[in-house]
Amino acid sequence: MPNPVEERRPPITPQLAMRVAVLGGIAFVLFAIVFFRLWFLQVLSGEDYVSQARDNRVRKVRIEAPRGDIVDRHGTVLVKTRVAAVVQIAPGSLPDAVLDQADAFRKARSAAEQDRLQAAARLRSLERDIRERRRGASRKQRRERRALSREARRAAPVTVPRLPASETEQRRLYRRLGKVIDVRPRVIHERVIEGIAELPYSNVTIRTAVPRDAFNYIRERKEQFPGVDVEKRYLREYPHEELGAQLFGTTREISPEELEMKRYRGVAAGTRIGADGIEESYDDYLRGTDGFTRVIINALGSRDDRRRMARREPRQGQRLRLTLDLKLQRAANDAIRRGVEAASQNGAKAGAFVAMDPRNGEILALGSYPSFDANEFARPISQKRYDELSSEELGAPLFNRAIAATYPTGSTFKPITAMAALEEGVITPTSTIVDDGEFELGDRVLKNAKDASYGALQLPGALTVSSDIFFYELGLQMNGQGPVLQDWARRLGVGRRTGIDIPGEFGGLIPDADWRNKGYEEYLKCAKKAKVEVGTTAALFACGGIERPWTAGDNVNLAVGQGDLQATPLQLATGYATIANGGRVVRPHLGQQVEDGQGRLVEEIRTPLRRRVQFDPAHRDAIMTGLHGAATAANGTSSDVFADFRYRDVLYGKTGTAERQPNPDQSWYACYVDHPTRPIVVVTTIERGGFGAETAAPAARLILNEWFDLQDDEFKAGSDQSN
Amino acid sequence: MPREWRLRLDPLLLLATLGLVAGSLIALNSATANDIPGQPDYYVLRQGIYAGVGLVLMYGASRLDYSRLRELRYPVYGLLLALILMVLAVAGVTRGSRSWIELPFFNFQPSELGKVLLIVALAGFLVDRMRRMGRDTTARIMVLGLVPTMLVMAEPDLGSAMVYVAGTLALLFVAGAPWRHLAALSALFAVAVTLVLVAAPMAGVEVLKPYQVDRLTSFLAPSADPGDEGYQQHQALIAMGSGEKTGRGVENATQTSLNFLPEHHTDFIFAVVGETYGFAGCALILSLYALLIWRGLHILTVAKNLYGALLAGGITVMLLFQLFVNIGMNVGIMPITGVTAPLLSFGGSSMLATFLALGLLHSVHAQARETAELKGRAPIFQ
Repeated sequence: MPNPVEERRPPITPQLAMRVAVLGGIAFVLFAIVFFRLWFLQVLSGEDYVSQARDNRVRKVRIEAPRGDIVDRHGTVLVKTRVAAVVQIAPGSLPDAVLDQADAFRKARSAAEQDRLQAAARLRSLERDIRERRRGASRKQRRERRALSREARRAAPVTVPRLPASETEQRRLYRRLGKVIDVRPRVIHERVIEGIAELPYSNVTIRTAVPRDAFNYIRERKEQFPGVDVEKRYLREYPHEELGAQLFGTTREISPEELEMKRYRGVAAGTRIGADGIEESYDDYLRGTDGFTRVIINALGSRDDRRRMARREPRQGQRLRLTLDLKLQRAANDAIRRGVEAASQNGAKAGAFVAMDPRNGEILALGSYPSFDANEFARPISQKRYDELSSEELGAPLFNRAIAATYPTGSTFKPITAMAALEEGVITPTSTIVDDGEFELGDRVLKNAKDASYGALQLPGALTVSSDIFFYELGLQMNGQGPVLQDWARRLGVGRRTGIDIPGEFGGLIPDADWRNKGYEEYLKCAKKAKVEVGTTAALFACGGIERPWTAGDNVNLAVGQGDLQATPLQLATGYATIANGGRVVRPHLGQQVEDGQGRLVEEIRTPLRRRVQFDPAHRDAIMTGLHGAATAANGTSSDVFADFRYRDVLYGKTGTAERQPNPDQSWYACYVDHPTRPIVVVTTIERGGFGAETAAPAARLILNEWFDLQDDEFKAGSDQSN
Repeated sequence: MPREWRLRLDPLLLLATLGLVAGSLIALNSATANDIPGQPDYYVLRQGIYAGVGLVLMYGASRLDYSRLRELRYPVYGLLLALILMVLAVAGVTRGSRSWIELPFFNFQPSELGKVLLIVALAGFLVDRMRRMGRDTTARIMVLGLVPTMLVMAEPDLGSAMVYVAGTLALLFVAGAPWRHLAALSALFAVAVTLVLVAAPMAGVEVLKPYQVDRLTSFLAPSADPGDEGYQQHQALIAMGSGEKTGRGVENATQTSLNFLPEHHTDFIFAVVGETYGFAGCALILSLYALLIWRGLHILTVAKNLYGALLAGGITVMLLFQLFVNIGMNVGIMPITGVTAPLLSFGGSSMLATFLALGLLHSVHAQARETAELKGRAPIFQ
């Protein structure tokens, strides 16, 4: 506003007036800059900053959902979840020196494992040498074998390096923590190193089942325990300990790689997922839906609980009902144990069993003996203990032989040979082959077990007495027709994956001319390249064991389930089920249905047939007659084992004795009970168990006794000594 | 004839001052309620006391005959140097690095009072040599200004040092130093800043401490690393921007209440206003500052003598410089230098020194009006 008074003030110099004007101009410009900047920040881009401010303060905190229970076909709980307080250490809090140690440890351990595998390979070639010498091992070889088998059995232990002396802070932390949760500082350090070596980005669990007072102590003094997390976590619990332990698998935190995978879409980092076994196959159902709560975080990262935010309750995973029958599983485990004990003079340690409904592939019992207490894996397990559980001395309890061990199956393979021969027209059910006790193949003479001779045989009779000569003849004749025996074996379900709904299954091998000739070509090429003489140990070591091309003898061997044949007990069970049910190849499975917490059906797990095989019912009948005779006729191989078995009228069973040089024979039994409502196929095998009738057949009978609720737990060893 | 009593203060300047103090108290009240557990009023109460004492001090200063201060230029300059040296000495004894002296009631920060003392003394020296505004005078004044600047920088108090330089240049400018001198000085400072920020670190010579260099350059590249200077600036921007037009209110101003905004009672109090009261609040504060600066420049033009004009010019430019640097840092266009916002930021020394300076402005204004009356002229605003 113009003010006339202004004019009458003392005049200021023009220079000063100008400079004041400049100052005023500068001030005006500065205010204008700030003003427009404010306009830009607050009016034009305010919304951006509002959302940034929200991201700043709100954190979504995951609430873990408990996994669903796993129950058997009758609803008995096999795997459940319990709450436990756990103490963990976050890898982000560890000093670099410790992380470096973990890295070095991981490298050292994998190097040791490499050494072990090499020793195992050298041991195998040495044993082959000894076998081929046919005069037993020389002194030097025996010494070498001892040394190698020791090396091959277990990787050289890698000790965890001590905490570097410079890490006094970390040492003090371990000591403080150790005192509270009662774990030695040295053990804490070991668990940290082993844990980081295993899963570099996951929290390392130091102890589970932490007592309440220790839990509260740590929780209230967070600043004294930097990087230590105490949390309530859900742990898996296995009330039946070793029963089915190899089937369930474990749970662990999802890895960064898995987070990227399609099947884990929508799973948050830090979620526990199923690893291996049923936990992995049915993870989708068992996992549940995590809840979350939004909490307000201040600038220091600590929670501000003055304000409550949204919360979604976690939902427990669904309940999974298996086809497994816990009682049968227990009986089977005991049966194999008794079989192993019966053959202890042979050094028997291990065996496997499969019990399956042949109509639909429902697994009633499946497992490997010895087993382990599954609860051990719900706690932090030391590398030492893990190695023990994988070691040969203890029978490798972690190894599920029923699906992952492949063996020659001995005479239990004969029904498959029979089916191939009948269907390919090599014989008819009434064709006669004379078994005079000797079978000439080139310059070699093969004989029956115990040098028996059974005279003129038709197929059923040959199966009943388990004549090798009869089946050698079939094998020889089929060799001229190409891989027909092999094709039939695969068609029936042997020598290929059955598709069971748990991971870790092995395919096995049905040897044929193609495979062997191709392998031999490569062997020759390799030997030439490596400049080693063909047929020597050096060549074996460098180029593998296919040292000769296919001969008729290979097919002859296969016909009686010997030689290069590699099949799992589960495959054999599938093959028997296919013959028994008239050609339907089932997919063995453990998952039956998905239920909610109250046991109401949510979803049935449908497991369709894998395929159908066409064969003449008359051929099936001939084979079944033979198997029925083998289990019940006076001259049957396992008739003494089943002499007083209540369902012997509908029992079909075949013994097997697989030669596994240089080890003692492996005992096999495969059987089928054609019960109108409770049909079952059972396959048992006992490594180093001797003849089929000695250990595997009595074990199978014990399983059947339980299945048909016959109060009989006598282990009736048979006396038959045929293959 | 008994002189009738009337307020010897410029009402508009007083209005701006009281408005800013009120704004400061309101912002502190919402920003610092949770800072000290159990004492939600800790900062507000103290700032209120400082303001009360400051107002009294301001009134006292306004009654002072400021022209007498010109005669005291040597003692004032001596006091300035003595105070700063005392801080350095105390810091040396306690082996700490700090810029204040502990007094019974508050921590006295001489560099704040020094801003006023420097203007008072330098204005006096300038008036002496007013007739000959040659190269000699410019150089002399610059040296007189740079001595306390260097000492303050050694404390280390980079912000105050910058204010000292700004004040010194402002005095030279108002006193009528030739343009080419001013241009030369500007060029000199540009070179010095380049040397200190770019050349010296590359040559491995440490003129500023690394954290100071970081602070000065971080506004060019905000970073997400907490604890980092760029992070502070980024959080200030989020606070500022999230206020939008009318602010988020005290309850929802999470940047402030959850401590994401650092130094929210001192350096970044303007961002608190921005977050809590939005563009409207900021505009109001800016207007009050504009009023303050306008009144300062007005007083400069009406001063009864050159010394008064220099005082008014020096004080006004110093206030302008501080508020622009501080607000600029709050809105992300200036580096973080630790310069506080006059009258708005919490701090006893800064409040009292600012009130003292404002008191001198009032004094210049009152005497100008008195002189005008004596010469039979009508009062300006009555």
